[in-house]
Amino acid sequence: MDDMEDDTTIFSTLKSFKSFISCPDRSLLETEPAFGRSGLQNLYTKRVELEEAAERVRSHTSLLQLTQEKQQMELSHKRARIELEKEANSSSRDLQREIDRNRELLLQIRHLKEREEKANQELNEQVENNKALKRNFEELHKKANEKDSKLSYSSISMMCGTLRDVRNTGIKYQVSEKKRKIEKRMLNLYFTSRNSLICALLPLMCAVHLQELERRLALQEQDSVIVKNMKSEVARLPELEREIKRLREENTFLRETKENNSLLREETEGLRRKLERVERVMEEKLKVELEKEKLEHELQAWENIGQSTGLNIRKPEDLSREVIQIQQRELNLKQQNYTLNSSIRSVEKTRTELMPEIAQLRAKAQEEQKKRENQDSLVRRLQKRVLLLTKERDGMRAILESYDSELAASEYSPQLMLRVKEAEDMLRKVQTHNTEMETQLSKAQEEAGTFKLQAQMVSVCVCFFRQKIEELEAERQQLEEQNNILEMRLERHNLQGDYDPVKTKVVHLQMNPTSIAKQQRTEEVEQLRVECQRLRDRLRKIEADGVMTTDDTTLIIPPSQEILNLRKQMESAELKNQRLKEVFQKKIQEFRTACYVLTGYQIDITVENQYRLTSVYAEHMEDSLLFKSTGSVGSGSMQLLETDFSRTLTGLVDLHLFHQKSIPVFLSAVTIELFSHQTVT
Amino acid sequence: MKRVLCLLSVAFGINSILYQRGIYPAETFTRVTQYDMSLQLTTDAMLKNYLTNVISQLKEWLFDCTVQKLVVVITCLETNEVLERWQFDIECDKTAKESSAPREKSIKAIQEEIRSVIRQITATVTFLPLLETACAFDLLIYTDKDLEVPEQWEESGPQLIDQSEEVRLRSFTTTIHKVKSMVAYKRTNST
Repeated sequence: MDDMEDDTTIFSTLKSFKSFISCPDRSLLETEPAFGRSGLQNLYTKRVELEEAAERVRSHTSLLQLTQEKQQMELSHKRARIELEKEANSSSRDLQREIDRNRELLLQIRHLKEREEKANQELNEQVENNKALKRNFEELHKKANEKDSKLSYSSISMMCGTLRDVRNTGIKYQVSEKKRKIEKRMLNLYFTSRNSLICALLPLMCAVHLQELERRLALQEQDSVIVKNMKSEVARLPELEREIKRLREENTFLRETKENNSLLREETEGLRRKLERVERVMEEKLKVELEKEKLEHELQAWENIGQSTGLNIRKPEDLSREVIQIQQRELNLKQQNYTLNSSIRSVEKTRTELMPEIAQLRAKAQEEQKKRENQDSLVRRLQKRVLLLTKERDGMRAILESYDSELAASEYSPQLMLRVKEAEDMLRKVQTHNTEMETQLSKAQEEAGTFKLQAQMVSVCVCFFRQKIEELEAERQQLEEQNNILEMRLERHNLQGDYDPVKTKVVHLQMNPTSIAKQQRTEEVEQLRVECQRLRDRLRKIEADGVMTTDDTTLIIPPSQEILNLRKQMESAELKNQRLKEVFQKKIQEFRTACYVLTGYQIDITVENQYRLTSVYAEHMEDSLLFKSTGSVGSGSMQLLETDFSRTLTGLVDLHLFHQKSIPVFLSAVTIELFSHQTVT
Repeated sequence: MKRVLCLLSVAFGINSILYQRGIYPAETFTRVTQYDMSLQLTTDAMLKNYLTNVISQLKEWLFDCTVQKLVVVITCLETNEVLERWQFDIECDKTAKESSAPREKSIKAIQEEIRSVIRQITATVTFLPLLETACAFDLLIYTDKDLEVPEQWEESGPQLIDQSEEVRLRSFTTTIHKVKSMVAYKRTNST
């Protein structure tokens, strides 16, 4: 409604403005015939009023803009409220869902707890069962051990029994054998006593009988032995069978217990996993509870909002209702806003259209004002002229009246004629003056024209000369720079010592120190060369002869006696060396032959630290032992290196070198063996 | 008197150059006090003889105002290369040749200037490259072309330095002559 009122005010102001515009025209027209001063005042006042109206219009428009902005702000605020209420709804729904989830989770948790307790109980029972089984197993094991021990004892006793039996049987057999022997003897005696004649046959018979008996004894003995073994084995069998049975039963029992154990372990693992899951669920539950609290807080805040805004909101439905109402209001307001905007635009358009008209009118008013002013000025001039003319007329009338009055006294025409002549003379003078002035004016104008032409020419020349001056200045600068450069070069050359050969020459004394020094130098060089050459020749001679020669040149050489002495010393030293060598060789040879003969080995040093021993009794020339000295020189530790020959002596090597660790023994053993081979073969 | 001063200063300058650059061994020089300065003068007879010859001739030519430059050339004996050139440009006021009217400059002022030149010679030695090899020097005089030279004198080349660095030193003026001094030395490869 306010907008409508605003529209009406706008239209009313426009109408008043139009009326103001129209009124001043009439007022202007009306006041024209008058002097126009009051018309100006009216114009001014009307202008002021127009401006005031314009300001009012402007303020109205600003007001409208502000109200629009305010409405937009309210709309945005309401939109925000709607969005917040929507979010509140959604959050409340989420809250409810989560509360339900919470309840379900709590139930699950309770179930899981019960299951956990049961599982724990079962676990405990199983553990107890395990323990009992273990105890049983141990007891059984102990029993088995005892039985084993008993069995062993019993077997031993049985063995003893059997041994006794065997011994008894053996004894019996021995007894029987003795008896048999006695019987044999008896028989023999009997037979000898009874039948001495049949002695020739009876011994044979007896012998045959004896042999048979002996065979039977042997067989019986074998049988008895076999029987003993069989008996012992047979005695063992039942017991072993019993043991086997028992052990099998125990095995099956233990396997069952193992299976039970594995099953129990799986169950425990399953229970542990369940425990972990339950713990995770508990954590999630805690988190959910925290979220739930937060959401409850938010809900309470939302409910408080409802109370704080005072919109009578108890449920979200009320909120939605209000939101819908607000939206409807918003739509209405938007429509109104659009209509207002369109009206405002139209008003603005009309205003803009009116503005140029106003400008035109103002311009017209100004023109007319100017015209009026001109006319006023003309009027004034005319009035002044009129006044002057009236005054002249009055004056002329007065003169005429005076003349008329004077005429009554005397004649006035000659005076008038005089005056007329005087006036005419004056006129002529004035006219001539005028003409002269005019001629002078024309002349002056002509001269001015000529002067202007000259001035133009002069300016053109001036421009031309200025250009020339600039060019010349540039040239001058260039030339100055070149000049400077050349002067610098000249200076430089002058500094360096250059000169103009046309004007100057350079002179110096012939006998100047430099030339003298150069001469001396060349002489020195020559002298040095000559000396060098001489020295070289001398050196060559000395190297060639090996004996110094007496030359013209004075060289400082050592005296010859020293050389002879030195040579003699050298010769004697060489002789000594030779003798020493011979002696050493002889001695070494002696020593080596003695070694060879005494030890039986020829020792050669083939490579440094390697010694090859060849035996006197070696079968082949290549048979040799190689020893290498290890450790520091002179320590005497030796190692045997492998050769073909040493491989044939592995036994000796093992015995004497590895076990006894004695090389001399080894070597002596080798010599003995080789000697034995030689002597045998 | 002033011309003599000029000559003397030149002689002392040459001596100081020879001493400072070590062309002749230091023990061959004796100290002499002149111009309130201790200067080194050579005692080598040959050198003294040579210098007196040159300076006497120079004196004649100075009087005639035919001398343009005096140059001390230091050459390396091994390579025969010119290592240094001490150049003294002499500008002669020829109008004052005939007249003997005293001029404004006092003798003390001239002595001051000469002293400063000699000091500058000693100072320049600090930045000149070392003369490591055995060197010898020569005195060249730039004269007018048409001058008749005595028999002992011969024409020579200007003995310029290849790739030189030049340094301008102070100038001093007597009332008749203006002497500008400069030194040019062979550029060393290390720069």
